[in-house]
Amino acid sequence: MTAVIETRNLSKWYGNVLGLSDVSLGIEPGITGLLGPNGAGKSTFMKLLTGQLKPNIGSVSIFGRRIWNDFGTFAKIGFCPESDAFYEEISGLEFLTGLLSFHGFSKAEVRARAAKALDIVGLTGDKDRKIRGYSRGMRQRVKFAQAIAHDPEIIILDEPLSGLDPLGKRKLIHLIKDYRDQGRTVLVSSHVLPEIEAMTSHIILIHQGKILAQGDIHYIRDLIEAHPHVISIKCGDPRGLAAKFVNEPYVLKILFGSSGDSLVVETHKRDAFFGRLNQVVLESALRVEEITSPDDNLQAVFDYLVGK
Amino acid sequence: MATIREKGYSHWDGALVERKLPWWPITRTGIQLAFRRKHFKFFFSVSFLPAVVFLVGIYISERIEDFKFMIQGSENLIKINPAFFKTYFTNDFLLFMMVMLLVFSGAGLIADDLKHNALQLYFSRPIDKKDYFLGKAAVIFFFILALTLVPGLVLFVMKLVFSGNFKLLTSYPWLLPAIIGYSALLTVFFAFYTLLLSALSKNRRYVTILIFAIYIFSDVVYGITFGIFRSPYVALFSLKANFQQAGAVIFGQRLPYAYPGYLSFLVLFGICAVSAAVLHRRIRGVEVIK
Amino acid sequence: MLKTIREVFAFFFFLGKRSRKMKVFFLLSLLPVALAVLVRIAFAGRSSEVMSVFQEILMVYFLQFLIIILTLFYGTSVCSEEIEGKTLPYLTTRPLTKGGIIIGKFAAYTALSALMVFVSLAASYLIMSFEKLGEAATYGALLRYAGVLLLGLMAYTALFTFLGTFLKKSILVGLAFGFGWETAIQYFPGSTQRFSIVHYLKSLLPYYSEGKFSILMFRLEPTSPAVAVIVLLLITAGFLGLACLFFSLKEYMFED
Repeated sequence: MTAVIETRNLSKWYGNVLGLSDVSLGIEPGITGLLGPNGAGKSTFMKLLTGQLKPNIGSVSIFGRRIWNDFGTFAKIGFCPESDAFYEEISGLEFLTGLLSFHGFSKAEVRARAAKALDIVGLTGDKDRKIRGYSRGMRQRVKFAQAIAHDPEIIILDEPLSGLDPLGKRKLIHLIKDYRDQGRTVLVSSHVLPEIEAMTSHIILIHQGKILAQGDIHYIRDLIEAHPHVISIKCGDPRGLAAKFVNEPYVLKILFGSSGDSLVVETHKRDAFFGRLNQVVLESALRVEEITSPDDNLQAVFDYLVGK
Repeated sequence: MATIREKGYSHWDGALVERKLPWWPITRTGIQLAFRRKHFKFFFSVSFLPAVVFLVGIYISERIEDFKFMIQGSENLIKINPAFFKTYFTNDFLLFMMVMLLVFSGAGLIADDLKHNALQLYFSRPIDKKDYFLGKAAVIFFFILALTLVPGLVLFVMKLVFSGNFKLLTSYPWLLPAIIGYSALLTVFFAFYTLLLSALSKNRRYVTILIFAIYIFSDVVYGITFGIFRSPYVALFSLKANFQQAGAVIFGQRLPYAYPGYLSFLVLFGICAVSAAVLHRRIRGVEVIK
Repeated sequence: MLKTIREVFAFFFFLGKRSRKMKVFFLLSLLPVALAVLVRIAFAGRSSEVMSVFQEILMVYFLQFLIIILTLFYGTSVCSEEIEGKTLPYLTTRPLTKGGIIIGKFAAYTALSALMVFVSLAASYLIMSFEKLGEAATYGALLRYAGVLLLGLMAYTALFTFLGTFLKKSILVGLAFGFGWETAIQYFPGSTQRFSIVHYLKSLLPYYSEGKFSILMFRLEPTSPAVAVIVLLLITAGFLGLACLFFSLKEYMFED
């Protein structure tokens, strides 16, 4: 698939402070999670993508066009900023219709789109209330609504789930996945890893202004040889199972659980280990109750790469 | 027992422990923030210009012989008496610079707290409304007193030092209380004035305009109505005129405007009373959503 | 560009009408109406003095206070309120030209200020010239006063808009200009007066009276009306152009 968003040697300084360093990547249609701790450069990257900041070095292009001061491309982009900022004196409906009118839609279309967007985020009942009177979650939802109301091809969301209750988060994640299924490009930033994990396995990991990793979570995990995989197995005979692996060169460590019914294996060749495990289980008719990989997740990848 | 929390903070419902100066951290922070603003130090320094000029005047008054070639026949100009001090305290430049300092140091005192919903942070600590107001007002006190009481006392003391006697004190024993009293009047009024306007909006820029505009507006209204009606009582519209009138009363000088001096005090204290009432209503730990 | 200007104008005119500050400024602008009523009562039967009072005193309020306060707030708001309120991304991530955003907001806020000023001007003027309501010249003079104030609103708003696009403390610089420079420079002789906006506005006023009310015209050495109009329009266009340029080129970072 061709990348919709491309950056080449993208760098940004704030005075003497490096905000983003030499970022070259492409973002394809689908959901991409932008991950990093606070101050990593996520918002800087998003502001560069949305033309709010100008690169000091390098370039950002969307649909093959440089984004800085290219207002035409913004018709295809929806942006949900991080800050909780609104025109407080107007209602949610007026806020959406006002922003939609900037896209050149007819009055009827503006009203229809605004109503649809408010319905999607569940704010139809509160559309005529002033934004000043909205709760934190409602404000976040109306912010999301303005990003999607004009049906953009690219949706850039900066911490979109912040302030939402668990049900709200779930609804929004479901919505974002719908957009992916429609073939749109969604870039979501967060520092809350389970939220990103719930949406996508394709991530960009950023730390101190540099891209540490980009790609599928599991693929990235496999590449991290410095940190062996940890696999936990709950079975009827953990010591018997351990004996089958103790001579294997790719098994680095075996630990037994305190309850006596599990073992934890460290290996730097996960595929080889699982291949052998299947064989052992079949040969010895061993009863295996549970197999988990405690560190085959985003948190572990994050921790390993960020160096906590 | 259920606890009601507003936006994550609960009101302090413990005992208010007796401590010295609970409002001091608010004041200290306000003063520090003012000095961090760009150009504030410049404006603050420039505000002392009248004090320096008047100090030079006091020096010259004691060394008339040395400066006779300069002032020739004008020895009577530099007489250090209550009129001299009244002229210092009520000069237009000093009043204008005080308003500029209020803009820098006072516009955001309450406006920024309203904007960032910080009132709940204050009242979830063991301070009450009185401490909050006092802390904020003390920031204004600091700057206004620095331009009024401090230079006034310095001028008074330097006159005694330069003259080498206590003649000023014995001739005008009420001068020192007058300096303190007029400084207190300006300080208290400007504190109420600034805090009232700062509490009316979350937008610091708007408050800046209000602080300046109302001061100028009062003078413009006086100018226009005087041009039409030619009545001295219209000077009551002007804050500057009221300060000058009150100053003349306190320093025992001839009144600049032909109406009873107590009326100016009534106007100034009336504004303070209105301000106190509005502040009491506006500042609360609970945010009411309309 | 025109489409951007139209849509931005519509949105911010609507937003401005709703704001509480508009109500405060509107009340401020009604003072001349109250004064006009008082003057009519005080100067009953002396219509020539009434008109002198209007030009020399009420116009002082309009020219040297009201339009400066309104344009200072609204002009600096064109850019500053979006930055302070962190709402700038809502505009700059839309298919809107940056210049169009500036001009659209400028037009909206100038229109709001003009609305407030014209209501006050018309009401106070018509009260003052009550006996001459049947004469065409009355309305001619009213239109001329309105034109002067409109040119003033446009020129000052453009200047303060420009200041707002590149200065953080644009309001302080604006105050210094509006109430410092514009007031002081009028008392300077010769061509120095021409380095102020208010000089050209006063040059366009209909009457020059030397009577006992001469606050407004004190030391005025007027420029010809045609030149004054051209200069004011050039000031408007020039500062607005600079504002658009700065806004397009500058990056705005929000204070966290």
